[in-house]
Amino acid sequence: MNKPNFDDFLDKSLNTLDKEIAPQKDLWAGIERAIVNTHEPKQSATTLWPKLSAIAACTLAALVALNMFVINPKPQPVVAISDYFAQQKQSLLVQYKNQDALTDNWQTQLQELEEAEYAIKQALKNEPENQALLTMLAQIYQQQLDLINKVHAPRWQSI
Amino acid sequence: MLHVKPEQPAECENALIERVKSGDQSAYTLLYQLHIKRVYGLCLRLLADQSHAEDAAQEVFVQVWHKIAMFDGRSQFSTWLHSVASNIAINYLRKQKNWVQKVVSIEQDGMDEQSVKDCKGLNGLDKLIVRLPERARMVFVLFAVEGYRHEEIAEQLGIAVGSSKSQYHRARQLLQEWYENE
Repeated sequence: MNKPNFDDFLDKSLNTLDKEIAPQKDLWAGIERAIVNTHEPKQSATTLWPKLSAIAACTLAALVALNMFVINPKPQPVVAISDYFAQQKQSLLVQYKNQDALTDNWQTQLQELEEAEYAIKQALKNEPENQALLTMLAQIYQQQLDLINKVHAPRWQSI
Repeated sequence: MLHVKPEQPAECENALIERVKSGDQSAYTLLYQLHIKRVYGLCLRLLADQSHAEDAAQEVFVQVWHKIAMFDGRSQFSTWLHSVASNIAINYLRKQKNWVQKVVSIEQDGMDEQSVKDCKGLNGLDKLIVRLPERARMVFVLFAVEGYRHEEIAEQLGIAVGSSKSQYHRARQLLQEWYENE
């Protein structure tokens, strides 16, 4: 028997397509955990402030670093920017030392970002004043700080 | 968990929505049961990844719980819900991209053949749709399956209307190629 032509197949398939697909696992339990007793999601000020402070500090650090090392670069911007962010990163890791991370694989993600950092630094060896590479390096550092903050600041998406 | 028949009349659904708006979680369980398969189906087609679709579907129902007061009843609840779901799935995909994919604007491939075989619930055309590359797949699902206009899709995806149309044709060409070679 001949196969129907594609247009007929597509029209028929779209007209008869069952838009419902059942998930393979029960998703309600996670949703229930996320919404239970929280019609208006609220976090207490005592738990929210340290996280907000850490995020604000990182954002400020990124802006300061971008200005210091990229917009108005001094000699050896790569070294300066690296030192600056290494310090920020270390202080975050110390801050969250005793707090459980939300996922097990965050260090793998961090490692991927560190590999990207290494690749950009290698490129900067040939072009140490390349503004695009310096900006990219700052972004990579910022992503590392964001990742560390994110995995230590539980949210409902982690269900 | 409570169970409800899927053929819930519209007036019952409206009553459920009012109960949910007042914070009734048992009513929300029923609303979830009515719509989860449709929402998950949409997420799975858009994201082409079972695990991501499960996460996104959960995210949809958590966000809807918090935003249901914004539903004013002028449209059907299902229309509003599917619009929320498609936005969340699109944003979910953006969040999944690593820095290289964001910087260079690399799109993700669809499912490989083995993943399609392993993914339960996919039949016929769906098995081809989830193999499409990201942009073509999203436009095809939103246009051909969900019935959005190219102007609406362009706005949702942040692309030009012409790009939406060209991605749709790209999707059709790929689907045709795969169908004819099956």
